[in-house]
Amino acid sequence: MLQRRIRHLAVAGTVIVALAGCGGGSSSKGGGGGGTTSGAQALPACPLAALRAAKKPVSITYWHAMPRANNDELKKLAAQFNAQQHDVHVTLSGAATYPDNFTRFKAGLSTGALPDLMQGEDASLQAMIDSKSILPVASCIKAEGADISDLIPRVVAYYSVGNVLYPMPFNDSNPILYYNKKAFRRAGLDPNKPPLTFAEVEADSRQIVRSGAAPYGIALKTDSWLIEHWLAKSGHTTVNNDNGRTKRATKVTFDDATGISLFRWINDMVKSKLALSTGAGDNKIDHYLAVGNGRAAMTIDTSAALGTISQLFAAGRFTNVELGAGPMPGPSSPNGGVLVGGAANYILNRSAPEKQAAAYEFAKFLATAKIQADWSAATGYVPVSKSAATLSPLAEKYARAPDFKIAYDQLLAGTVNPATSGPVIGAYGSSNEGVRGAIVDGISGMLDGKVTPEQAVANAAAQANAAINDYNSRVG
Amino acid sequence: MSVDRSGMLGALAPGFSRFLVGVAALLLASIVLGVVSWRAHPAVARRARAINRYVLLGVLALIVLFPIYITVVNSLLPADKIAARPPTLFPTHALTGGYSQAWTQGHVSSYLWNSFVVTFFIVAGQLVTSICAAYAFAFLRFPLKRTIFVIFLATLMVPFEVVFFTNLQTVVSLGHLPLIGRFLGLDTYGALAVPFLATGFGAFLVRQAFLSLPRDLRDAAELDGYGHLKFMWRVAVPLARPTIAALALFSFFDAWNQYLWPLVVTDHYRTVQVGLRQLSRVSLDQINVTFAGTVLAAVPLLILLLVFQKQLVRGLTAGAVKG
Amino acid sequence: MLGYALVMPSLLVFGTFIFYPFVKNFWLGLYRTPPFPNLPRSWVGISQYRDVLTSTLFTNSFKVTVEFVALTVPVGIVAGLALAVLAHQRLRGIAVFRTIFSSTVVTSVAVASLISLTLLNPQIGLLNYWLGRTGSLSPLDDPKWALVAVAGVTIWQNLGLSFIIMSAGLQAVPDELLEAARVDGAGTWSRFRNVTLPMLSPTLFFATIVGSILAFHSFGQIDLLTEGGPQDHTNVLVYAIYRTVFKENNDGKAAVLAIALFAMTLVLTLLQLRILERRVSYER
Repeated sequence: MLQRRIRHLAVAGTVIVALAGCGGGSSSKGGGGGGTTSGAQALPACPLAALRAAKKPVSITYWHAMPRANNDELKKLAAQFNAQQHDVHVTLSGAATYPDNFTRFKAGLSTGALPDLMQGEDASLQAMIDSKSILPVASCIKAEGADISDLIPRVVAYYSVGNVLYPMPFNDSNPILYYNKKAFRRAGLDPNKPPLTFAEVEADSRQIVRSGAAPYGIALKTDSWLIEHWLAKSGHTTVNNDNGRTKRATKVTFDDATGISLFRWINDMVKSKLALSTGAGDNKIDHYLAVGNGRAAMTIDTSAALGTISQLFAAGRFTNVELGAGPMPGPSSPNGGVLVGGAANYILNRSAPEKQAAAYEFAKFLATAKIQADWSAATGYVPVSKSAATLSPLAEKYARAPDFKIAYDQLLAGTVNPATSGPVIGAYGSSNEGVRGAIVDGISGMLDGKVTPEQAVANAAAQANAAINDYNSRVG
Repeated sequence: MSVDRSGMLGALAPGFSRFLVGVAALLLASIVLGVVSWRAHPAVARRARAINRYVLLGVLALIVLFPIYITVVNSLLPADKIAARPPTLFPTHALTGGYSQAWTQGHVSSYLWNSFVVTFFIVAGQLVTSICAAYAFAFLRFPLKRTIFVIFLATLMVPFEVVFFTNLQTVVSLGHLPLIGRFLGLDTYGALAVPFLATGFGAFLVRQAFLSLPRDLRDAAELDGYGHLKFMWRVAVPLARPTIAALALFSFFDAWNQYLWPLVVTDHYRTVQVGLRQLSRVSLDQINVTFAGTVLAAVPLLILLLVFQKQLVRGLTAGAVKG
Repeated sequence: MLGYALVMPSLLVFGTFIFYPFVKNFWLGLYRTPPFPNLPRSWVGISQYRDVLTSTLFTNSFKVTVEFVALTVPVGIVAGLALAVLAHQRLRGIAVFRTIFSSTVVTSVAVASLISLTLLNPQIGLLNYWLGRTGSLSPLDDPKWALVAVAGVTIWQNLGLSFIIMSAGLQAVPDELLEAARVDGAGTWSRFRNVTLPMLSPTLFFATIVGSILAFHSFGQIDLLTEGGPQDHTNVLVYAIYRTVFKENNDGKAAVLAIALFAMTLVLTLLQLRILERRVSYER
């Protein structure tokens, strides 16, 4: 039992790193009028007829990256799907992490060992498109005349490029604030009023440190996606060409006053010993541990870990922690505008026509309100369907444990524009390379005291642009 | 109220202070004994020197063994005990739950099995190919022999790290072959073992052993009606047994410890080294399982070390030439 | 012809998995390769060699690799030698100590890395605890100490091997020589310096070469301990190649890096072959 939770924790820390854009929504607001029409024209056909004509049941394989507990839940859903209809039979094949899943997908492009449906993380959107091996789910939605109005528009917008929805949304998560209510109380702060802005985080941290409630106010992992979210919350893009949504992005756009102010805030917090920097690394969970062992009173990470973290801190040795959760604090007050995170399901165009259509059926099933309510209640993910939150068992869960609703609420809130759509980048990378690696290196160099925030942003931008250019030159 | 004590020597955690005091006391005792032995009566001096040596050896042995020791201890503790402070340095209530979890849910049993299978094929393959090639170089004459021998030696100049990703493409292509593709493609035992079925170094080593056999042995065998193959297996190989055993042990170590290639080529057939990487990706509350898996992974080589200590030394020293 | 039949299996393996990919690397380095194998590659010629070899990625990795070799090899050899000398005496129970000193040969790179990963963990590691630094940055996350920490782990892991090799070398030093020196009135240190060390020099030399080659090709400990970070401070060449292939999906660039790795180790390998040859002449 225990280890299942923990496994989830590790993977959540590892994998949900990839938070990208939300919003972007209705194309007309995205400023990408040109992309809208050309995208719609370029849609390949969805072979729905092939499934109708095929000998039933059509067997398909779904490659996912859900570990243990989530894997068990997914198995349940697949069994339910297989039982309730007899046209399509789905078989699951799990990888440990999203990168592992992507790696076997890439190998499959040359061996031909590919699934019919594949779960890909948010940040891999552009790469999946560039693989030229996926069938946009928009084709099938159009061919069937399906009604997707129940899908949350910001989620649809996030996975749309040039107004074409590429994968079927499935599981979402975004960053929230984790804090220790006991430390807040000891510091004389209101334990039910977590900070909402940078200024409040700073003031609360000062109070916490001064009162001796904890050595540090907040533990900060050196992570690119914090910057990406804060840029979005500032109404600022990460890359050009409307965050890569109207045309392929060619350079980053954070090398200006906004980017510098974000870097400087991190720098000031760490240098004034209000924040504990726990270093970079996709597998690191030291920022959670810092809250657990009382070194810091707050940290920021994915909402997908909430279930694991609360169980972990409730049990056993972390007696000095009473876990609270709040919206992700940002540079200014509105708390919406976080990017969409998590993963979505891609139909592969390499499969036989009837299998492509069958894959669409299963992807559609996973995105229905009822299934989303089951799935989100069991896993802690944010539903991609609007009405799921009003259905059992998710509605009961949100009523019982409102902390789980924070990520959902901040996903729905906020304006829709190119910035809050989030970046689409081929060379997105991880904490070690690509655009994310460049941002991580920039922040780390700054925290080592080697460079000023201005120089750190300039370095990060130069390194990120090089990665983007290199990638773009190779996809032609 | 906790205080940030980073860097303050005076605030060293009590456990470590005790440990430091202990080590310091041992070293001090050792120095005193040294001085005594310098000045004292020869008989006293000899005894003092002997004790001194034991003290020094003991301290060093402690330092070398400590990481292994603490891993074994941690593997027997519940996860939250490992994270607790002050740390537990002795397993008061040993739990073996970590081991059973590592063995089943942690898949260590199948990781070990995969490692055994792959290592077996590599060792067997290397012995056969090395002996055959070495025999040809040592006892046969054929055109281009010299050139082919140089080619064998040239393989030593291309480290596997230089070609691993190009080989990955080759393995992917081999997977497309009819019939045998199923055994050679990505994520198969074949992919793990086949690239290592021959070794220039092994052929070289065995050739040296063959060359050191008396020349007239072959002539005598020929008179007895021994063909080349019969001579090779009945006479040459038994006489070169020490070298071949050394090669086998070295190959075993080399194959067992492989990391890069199994990492990139397998998914379902993970060897134990790559499996450990997987185990390490779990988090805090499973850390005892990770430790248990780590210990289990070291057991086969430990047995090898204890049983074949002499041959192992020979194998490693000979093998180390290869690097 | 029997001779050909006997060498053929080996040649087949060498051709497929050593020479063909080796040559292919040179060719691959001339192409700009796509991130996905099903997309077309484009010819860029020799310019990719120039670009890659002058990039900060390569120069940094080169520097880190050389530093890593310099950190691990001398200390590893001296430590192994020191233990070997200490254990090379007639004492009751010395066999126990010999076994202990060789014990780290049972640890593979993965085992050693996992053991140390936890010793070095900032929150639960014993090292930070004993230094009173629990919660502070782990040495593995600290740009100044990361490479040193990885080197330390490597030295510990290879200590057993180093000890075994040095012990074997010591055993080859004839007792009569040492006895003669003793009779001539040479002290312990003098005997070690003037007799043992010179007799040991071939062993030391070959341990240096082999150790350097091994260190040049280090990968597992980097992958498990630091993943090349922080900020590429432990991004040794082999890890840079791995990352270029599997994270950047850029095979052409990786091929150039691999050729550079080959060139860097070529000199060492030639020296090693010379030793092999010399050994042969001794043995016969």
